[in-house]
Amino acid sequence: MLDPKDLRRPSLSLDRRRLLKGLGATAIGGSFAGVAKAETLHHSVADAPVANATNQIDSVPCLGVHQAGIVNARPANGMVASFDVLAKDAGELETLFRDLTARIAFLTVGGPVPVLDPKLPPADSGLLGPMVRPDNLTITVSLGASLFDERPWLAPLKPKHLQRMTRFSNDALDAEICHGDLTVQICANTQDTTIHALRDIIKASSRQMILKWKQEGNVPVITPGPDGRAESARNFLGFRDGTANPNSSDATEMDRVVWVGPEDGEPVWAVGGSYQVVRIIRNFVERWDRTPFGEQERIIGRTKMSGAPLDRRDGHEFDVPDYAADPEGKATPLDAHIRLANARDEASKAHTILRRPFNYSNGVTRSGQLDQGLLFICYQANLERGFITVQRKLNGEPLEEYLKPVGGGYFYTLPGIRDASDYLGSSLIAAARGA
Amino acid sequence: MRICGLVGATALTLILSSGAFAQEASLDLVEPIAEYKIYVSEQVAKLVEDTTAFTAAVKAGEVDKAKALFAPTRVSYEAIEPIAELFSDLDVSIDSRADDYEKAEADPEFPGFHRIEYGLWEKNSTEGLAPVADKLLADVKALEGRIASLTFPPEKVVGGAAVLMEEVAATKISGEEDRYSHTDLWDFRGNFDGARKIVELVRPLIAAKEADFLKTVDANFNTVDTTLVKYEDGEGYVAYDKLSEDDRKVLAAAVNTLAEDLSTLRGKLGLD
Repeated sequence: MLDPKDLRRPSLSLDRRRLLKGLGATAIGGSFAGVAKAETLHHSVADAPVANATNQIDSVPCLGVHQAGIVNARPANGMVASFDVLAKDAGELETLFRDLTARIAFLTVGGPVPVLDPKLPPADSGLLGPMVRPDNLTITVSLGASLFDERPWLAPLKPKHLQRMTRFSNDALDAEICHGDLTVQICANTQDTTIHALRDIIKASSRQMILKWKQEGNVPVITPGPDGRAESARNFLGFRDGTANPNSSDATEMDRVVWVGPEDGEPVWAVGGSYQVVRIIRNFVERWDRTPFGEQERIIGRTKMSGAPLDRRDGHEFDVPDYAADPEGKATPLDAHIRLANARDEASKAHTILRRPFNYSNGVTRSGQLDQGLLFICYQANLERGFITVQRKLNGEPLEEYLKPVGGGYFYTLPGIRDASDYLGSSLIAAARGA
Repeated sequence: MRICGLVGATALTLILSSGAFAQEASLDLVEPIAEYKIYVSEQVAKLVEDTTAFTAAVKAGEVDKAKALFAPTRVSYEAIEPIAELFSDLDVSIDSRADDYEKAEADPEFPGFHRIEYGLWEKNSTEGLAPVADKLLADVKALEGRIASLTFPPEKVVGGAAVLMEEVAATKISGEEDRYSHTDLWDFRGNFDGARKIVELVRPLIAAKEADFLKTVDANFNTVDTTLVKYEDGEGYVAYDKLSEDDRKVLAAAVNTLAEDLSTLRGKLGLD
């Protein structure tokens, strides 16, 4: 989404060329006219910001061996909503999964909103107008341990490592924003699209599940540099986050890091899924902003402005620190966040996770401080070897003074919707009926 | 139930000026609405009778007796809440909550049932409650006086069933209504009976065309009934904090689904 003042930015020419290329399609032509006019006409405060039409029609396929919303790049807005599920038997759970699949199939592709008798409530909230556009929307469904634990007919099918999240030494977990039977991760270019999807899902599933908590977040939109290379987004501590993430476009690497395969010893139905960790991590930003710059860099282990490792301050954020050459931690302290999380040696490769976090900004605490932080989301093929191991290494890190994990949970992301005749969770339902 | 006073007043003016049966589609509704008016009158008569005894106990300083009468007295009021919008000024005065006032419980404006509930349970005392009790009794009598001449617009009555379910879903299922006494399950009884009464009255009009809809609605009301039955205690119900987390979820889903389904009832009857 472009703010009118952004229209002056040089990067617009690129967007405009992309728009011009797509001008053949009438819908885009119409929107483009709006963009062109924006430069010459005065704007009223009531005008909506001028949209980037190419973004609105961007879509991520919802069908595949794996669910969407994991290895594809984060769009600007993300949300996790957690629900309690009522299903008492496999039939009721199947109904829920099929209903969710139907909504995902519509929302991620888009189309006209059904028009009903005006005497009836409308079929759609109308947030996106008469035509729903995909806007890069992904909807990713995962299951919590409680869904299995509370149902004897489902319990034998629980993924091996799925468990209720327990507290780490620095956590102050608030029961009201923890756990749940089922999470829906919703990501899209704009917040309106994520909220529209959430309201649609709540309306469609009121019989089957109840909203327990939700957390929204976003990723700053960054224009690629002159060399075309994108930089990692900054978190609310002002540091680049996600630099050392594995390459999510490398399918072999994702098979190793993210996706549960037949060799992982998980229930057969779970193959193609992944473990999802959600952590709502409050940042004490006022205190952080009152911390000396050099100390901030030593706590994180990176230079703040460029993101370069501390042992090559003039380098690039993607340069790999050489910890072997710095055994005493003179350049990068031994307890720096990035060094504890990833020692960059052979052994730590086994603990690689795919992080997909969003920054959140909620309001003001009772103490008059900003309630901001990180909606941390990560995916891995093995929860124990992935997040839990990494977080154990981080226990006691100096950064803890500035962080307080308050919510979230562990979930198992269902395998993908294979084709148009399949539905989300079909392998689990088949296994439950067979059991 | 609280609605903004201005909106309530405007709605009331519109109703009074437009007449009760503006819609052609509502001709069939004349009889159900007349029957509903009788139901409301009966409930209000019971409310006046019970409130008389309740306020007398409060004024006599009989804390235990007043506590025992609080929840049963409210049931008949909760049963007519679907149409509380039609007497919104009295609804504020009878049934508003501490949150509606700037200084909450300490606010001298905080009136009605919940002001008395606060004194009885939080202070275990009737001190200072006599004028509140007098005003409450006067208000329920004023309500009784109004019912006979009150216009019952069909769309408000039919829509009221859904509105009440919205109210339960938004601010009752949390247990915040009777937060001092935890007698919320008694209120629920009144709310669900009151909403179901409306469905029963219009059932013959949609039975043929909307069989599936009625089946779903009935199933959800029945879910509520079987859940509430588990918590019966003597003539009434156990405290709301005794409700298990599982049953709270079952009730929440039933209420949300009833709100979703009953939101279509007006349209199904051709009411705009």
